[in-house]
Amino acid sequence: MRQNIALHRFALFTACCTAVLIFVGGLVTSTESGLSVPDWPTSYGWNMFTFPYSNWVGGIFYEHGHRLIASFVGFLTVVLTVWMWLKEERRWVRWLSTAALGAVILQGVLGGLTVIFLLPAWISTLHACLAQTFFCTVISLAFFTSPGWKRGLPLVKSHAESIPLQTLCALTTAAVYLQLILGAVMRHSDAGLAIPDFPLALGHIIPPFTSNKVIIHFAHRVGAVIVTTMIVWTFYRIRRSYSDHLLLFRPALTMLVLLTLQVALGAITVWTAKSIYPTTAHVLTGALVLGTSLLLTLRAYGMVVHRTADFRGAA
Amino acid sequence: MYKRTLMICVLLLAASLVAACSKGETDETGLPPAGGGGTASGPTFDMSKATATVSGKISFEGTPPPNEKVQMSSDPYCQQKAADYPTLETVKVSDGGLENVIVFVSSGMPTGVSYATPTTPVEIDQHNCHYVPHVFTLMTNQPVKIKNSDMTLHNIHAWAEKNPQFNVGQPVAGMVNDTKFAKPELPLPIKCDVHKWMGAFVGVFDHPFHTVSKMAGTFELKLPPGKYEVTAWHEKFGQKTMMVEVADSDKKEVNFSFNANDKAAD
Repeated sequence: MRQNIALHRFALFTACCTAVLIFVGGLVTSTESGLSVPDWPTSYGWNMFTFPYSNWVGGIFYEHGHRLIASFVGFLTVVLTVWMWLKEERRWVRWLSTAALGAVILQGVLGGLTVIFLLPAWISTLHACLAQTFFCTVISLAFFTSPGWKRGLPLVKSHAESIPLQTLCALTTAAVYLQLILGAVMRHSDAGLAIPDFPLALGHIIPPFTSNKVIIHFAHRVGAVIVTTMIVWTFYRIRRSYSDHLLLFRPALTMLVLLTLQVALGAITVWTAKSIYPTTAHVLTGALVLGTSLLLTLRAYGMVVHRTADFRGAA
Repeated sequence: MYKRTLMICVLLLAASLVAACSKGETDETGLPPAGGGGTASGPTFDMSKATATVSGKISFEGTPPPNEKVQMSSDPYCQQKAADYPTLETVKVSDGGLENVIVFVSSGMPTGVSYATPTTPVEIDQHNCHYVPHVFTLMTNQPVKIKNSDMTLHNIHAWAEKNPQFNVGQPVAGMVNDTKFAKPELPLPIKCDVHKWMGAFVGVFDHPFHTVSKMAGTFELKLPPGKYEVTAWHEKFGQKTMMVEVADSDKKEVNFSFNANDKAAD
């Protein structure tokens, strides 16, 4: 398979820019600036790209900045897709890049609709969830165009386990994704401080469910426990059985470190009554946990084999 | 296959742009139309019959809580005015009286009549990065002029629940938008998402018996003879009610009192 390092690096760059975009998008919500530019796709009647910098005041700085960075990521995705269709040999990778392009277009439309319809929670939540999906798609593109994947990852013989590592990693990724959806629902339904104490919840281990917001918030905390369990389990499994394989061990360790940071940021978010930067960092770290978990899953599927006949690499 | 997918993407983008550029349920000012009113039907009430005067004072007992400090540095224009407006205007007490309290008749109005809608517009100005006035009342379908006197951008976001919400931008000094509110609503908050500290409260009524307390917390209502429930509403301290009965040309005093422990409902 022909190597195209430049294409891989470009996909990687797009993924990094998407992470920045997620952080800036999180800032828009944290600073409650989502409606500070009331029109879309124009900005106060100006073309988005000619809106004077002197007018980037107050909440406009975050909202307009988010629109411009989003446009840049959209542009990168267009270039990536065209490049894929010109140079990439694998048909399914070309279509995956097309899916990324579709996602980024839909994401822009959802961003516009959320402004026009004055931040309805379900559109804003969908916008947040699609951001994570797009991020995962671009990470996958970067992974599938990487020299390591194209050359063929070193194969590892599967250990006798009740749940194969690939399945465990996929379940962990699914759990993280569902947790991010819950987080988005909580954030956009204004339930972030429905339970204002931590580690207790309204003074109890299980709070009185006095409102939907309390239920949503508590569901996110329960989700955090499940995600923590899954990530620790995955890390423990890899450390026990695959610690010699750095391609698996490194992302598993990174995921564990990010998880620790994420739990701390979640607690700080509550303790500081949703202070802007910890809250936004919590959103970004969530995306990074998801991205790392996805990477680990893809590597697990690419490396771990069950049948001895398939095993040709390092044990 | 590729061309078909590309075509779908282009159509999706075009549809979204059309949706985005269309103004939806808005008029040429960018604000939603007033729609159906909430005014009662029947013969128009003759306001010359409102001969009784109910006046009074909204007192504030104890030490008023300090207002939240305002940080205006996010906009250099507003920052120039920061020294004049160090805090929010939530609690404004003068001579022991609480200002910016909406006082209105909440029950007992004459039935089977309608009230003429004033044609004089109520004006709210964005001046020195503050809303002037901070609290005001008006009747359903009474014209409202929203003005920007500042050399900076503002957006006017009406967080209405019973009336249509709207959010429009005024990027240029001197811009004026006209709107109306068709249904009674209290409180109807207005805020600027660009400048977080900017907030105003509107009381929309389907009758003319409402006012806002002024200096020293004083107010005055002109009422026809009858027995009324009068309510005083404050953005932070909630509301209180009192009963009053007036005859023709009566002058009665109704006094309300708030303190720091009073709280508005969530």
